[in-house]
Amino acid sequence: MTEKVTRKLTAKVRDEEGISVEFAAFPEGGGPFTSPARPSAKPDTTVTSSVQEPSASAAGVTAEYSEEFLELAIPKLPSLSKANHARLLMQSPNRLYFYWTLAKNPFHTLNRALGQATNYSLVLKLVDLRTEAEEIHPVDAEGTWWFDVDADGEYRAEIGFYAVNRPYVRVLYSNTVATPRKSPSRRSAETAEWSVPAAKFARVLDAAGFQKDAFDIALAGDDAGAADLATRSAFAQFTGKRFDEFSSVSADEIRYAMFALASGLELDQLRALIGKRLFDIIAGLADAGSGRALAALDEQFEFSASEFTVEEEESSAAVFGASLVNFPRRVKKVPLRPGDFAVPGPFGSHSLVS
Amino acid sequence: MPVGYFSLILHAHLPFVRHPEYPSFLEEDWLYEAITEVYLPLIFILQNLHEAGAKPRLAINVSPPLCEMLADKLLETRYTEHLERLLELAEKEVRRTEREAREFMPVARMYVDNLSASLHLWNDRYGRNLVNAFRELQEEGVVEIITCGATHGFLPLISTAEARAAQIKVAVANYEKHFGRQPRGIWLPECAYEPGIEDLLKEAGIEYFVSDTHAILYGDPRPKFGVHAPVVCPNGVAVFARDVETSQQVWSDVVGYPGSDVYREFYRDIGWDLPLDYLKPYLDDEGNRKHLGLKYHRITGRNVPQQLKQPYLPGLAREKAGENASHFLGERMKQAFELRELFGGHPPLVVSPYDAELYGHWWFEGPQFLDFFFRKLHFDQSEIAAVTPGDFLDSGISIQVQRPSASSWGENGYFKVWINEGNSWMYPYQHDAERRMTALANRFSDLNEGLHEGAANPVSASASLPVPTSRILNQLARELLLAQSSDWAFQIYQGTTVEYSSRRFQSHIHRFDLLANMLESGQVNEALLAEIEGRDNIFQEIDFRIYRSLTPEK
Repeated sequence: MTEKVTRKLTAKVRDEEGISVEFAAFPEGGGPFTSPARPSAKPDTTVTSSVQEPSASAAGVTAEYSEEFLELAIPKLPSLSKANHARLLMQSPNRLYFYWTLAKNPFHTLNRALGQATNYSLVLKLVDLRTEAEEIHPVDAEGTWWFDVDADGEYRAEIGFYAVNRPYVRVLYSNTVATPRKSPSRRSAETAEWSVPAAKFARVLDAAGFQKDAFDIALAGDDAGAADLATRSAFAQFTGKRFDEFSSVSADEIRYAMFALASGLELDQLRALIGKRLFDIIAGLADAGSGRALAALDEQFEFSASEFTVEEEESSAAVFGASLVNFPRRVKKVPLRPGDFAVPGPFGSHSLVS
Repeated sequence: MPVGYFSLILHAHLPFVRHPEYPSFLEEDWLYEAITEVYLPLIFILQNLHEAGAKPRLAINVSPPLCEMLADKLLETRYTEHLERLLELAEKEVRRTEREAREFMPVARMYVDNLSASLHLWNDRYGRNLVNAFRELQEEGVVEIITCGATHGFLPLISTAEARAAQIKVAVANYEKHFGRQPRGIWLPECAYEPGIEDLLKEAGIEYFVSDTHAILYGDPRPKFGVHAPVVCPNGVAVFARDVETSQQVWSDVVGYPGSDVYREFYRDIGWDLPLDYLKPYLDDEGNRKHLGLKYHRITGRNVPQQLKQPYLPGLAREKAGENASHFLGERMKQAFELRELFGGHPPLVVSPYDAELYGHWWFEGPQFLDFFFRKLHFDQSEIAAVTPGDFLDSGISIQVQRPSASSWGENGYFKVWINEGNSWMYPYQHDAERRMTALANRFSDLNEGLHEGAANPVSASASLPVPTSRILNQLARELLLAQSSDWAFQIYQGTTVEYSSRRFQSHIHRFDLLANMLESGQVNEALLAEIEGRDNIFQEIDFRIYRSLTPEK
């Protein structure tokens, strides 16, 4: 049952110039039914697609194709419109995708406005609208970019001209994207009917399968100000930095990162789990070891190492219908250890099984 | 009042795959397999449960593309031929196994029985009209049918408000066409939500949507009952989110029921096992091997190599499905008691959304499991009540107001599956088409403004434009919607049918561009228009004017 079948379906048809072109095979399988994982291996077979355009034998046609058939036989992506356009899209709370095009050569416009302003560079700028922090990169008149950002933020990207000691000239800007938080809200409902204290909410989260968040909520308690202060104090102790050097990073994210480090997570594993600003601070430390992180947390939050537990995955998640379905990790209580934070937030990773 | 409520929600969806330009097409098998293995068994089981007085109650999304395919005459004919051929093969297999592989006789006979029953149901009981069969189940109070995005478009990655709204409006119109009423709920494609989507739903008259767990758990303010009660957005649209425990029990490869040793092994199929000459009449014209749906082995054990799999024993598997259903119900009762205590007496709601195709396609015994489960639920206990989200809203139980958090049910909980290094190239083209669609809709609607206000039939309304113009505009809308299907980006990311999915996306963008050029240049190629219309014939009721600017252009 390991027969390798890689269909090489070829068919010839004239292209627009009447030249014969060959269609490649499409060796693949699966379809919209993504496999729920089964405890058995998929045979090493490659099921073929029947993209047949235009296969004479498959079509039962032996000679002529209509003009319309040929027109549609080879789908061609059109040229993108030459317009001023900038679009920012969210991939995750920590990652954004940006693409842009400009209708005309922007330097012509710049030169008309400012004369031969040759020291200007075309740049893209990502603006954090809540902190007003910016990052700038030189770019071309059209392109794409991936940004590492913070959760629970608000961002806009721009294309413009930048020169040292000269005014920045904005050419176009994107839509605004709000990144969601990666943890429960800090706010309980104000009405008595729906208000829920932290200890109770931790149990609710636990019952929902979000044990890591339950742990964090229980630890932080109802006094958000005190929890923030304890978190920032622990981080200051851990990094040797002043509060104002990391004031733009949320206490929730700091606490998450410190627990991750305390569990023994390696720095490169942490990169994908937290925002860039926080990561850069931690990456700059001479010693970001687990012992120091745990000691700093212990001092501020006063828990014993034996209580410091998280949950580990009991099952490899790999389950799916027509979608890759997200699961929190299947968990049980075990002492915290390296690797427990290897998966972002509360979510399980899902291997592709087919 | 019961201790707790349980809401099963099935998501039945396939991308629109229909290739009249060929006499057969492999990807159309997706629909044929799903009809045989999933939709027919589900409908049949639910109908029988209803007739037996077991009062099953669940919600099911029959997505608009699936409705359109199930109602399509060409696909209906092709499916009938497919089923007849498969039954013929199954009958041959009974004779062959009797001669040379007697250990497989029980399973070979099972397929003859099942396929004979399927053919009878298809032809006689349901008159080859499964949309109508679903509709009857709704009218009998068995299911609450909800809608989805028109073509399962991933709403947060659609660039314009008009194009997002069109995914909802077209879906609602299509639902009304097939089911004769307004949908109460929607399965957001991929459960993808971002703030603001609820406004589109409200505008379309939708009362609730289905989301992933963290949409509520990370919403603001904190949800008092976690994921075990719905919330309502400030605009009044309710949110029902996925319970993790029940998902794991059914879908996990380790702790999930479908991994049982006695259940049918999916990957061992006679299409790969038997000689090509013997199978040839049932393969495509090229004679390539493929899954035929006749699978003779059981899982046997974790990590057991394919060649060591044991024969499938239908009776043993059925017994296990009953055991699993008992266990599932027992766990629901335990869960309900624990949650009710935690909630101070407030009855919890456990929402269990699944892809419908899990039940029968991947988990062959899944429909039997549901049959056992609903029987036990009705006859063996009274602590758990099966409800739909609509039932829950009607119950009068108070619901917390909350702003949900952006989320999807995809890998890692956000949008990575649908936008990543492998498929991000699609979005500039899609977004270009979205802007162009609204520009053209504005331009040509303005020519007609006033003529169609209040028109009862949108098709006749747009038809009073010069015929080729209105046809082109409506076909543009179809091509855009088909390009937006999240299935293409999903399959590209997943690595299955990458070429087909890429080609489908490119085809719809290409066809959109050809048609838009006709309008913009005034040079109409009616033969080409007719060819495109013939291929992509989804949503005959569509009216391009839904793409007009929602706010006046400056």
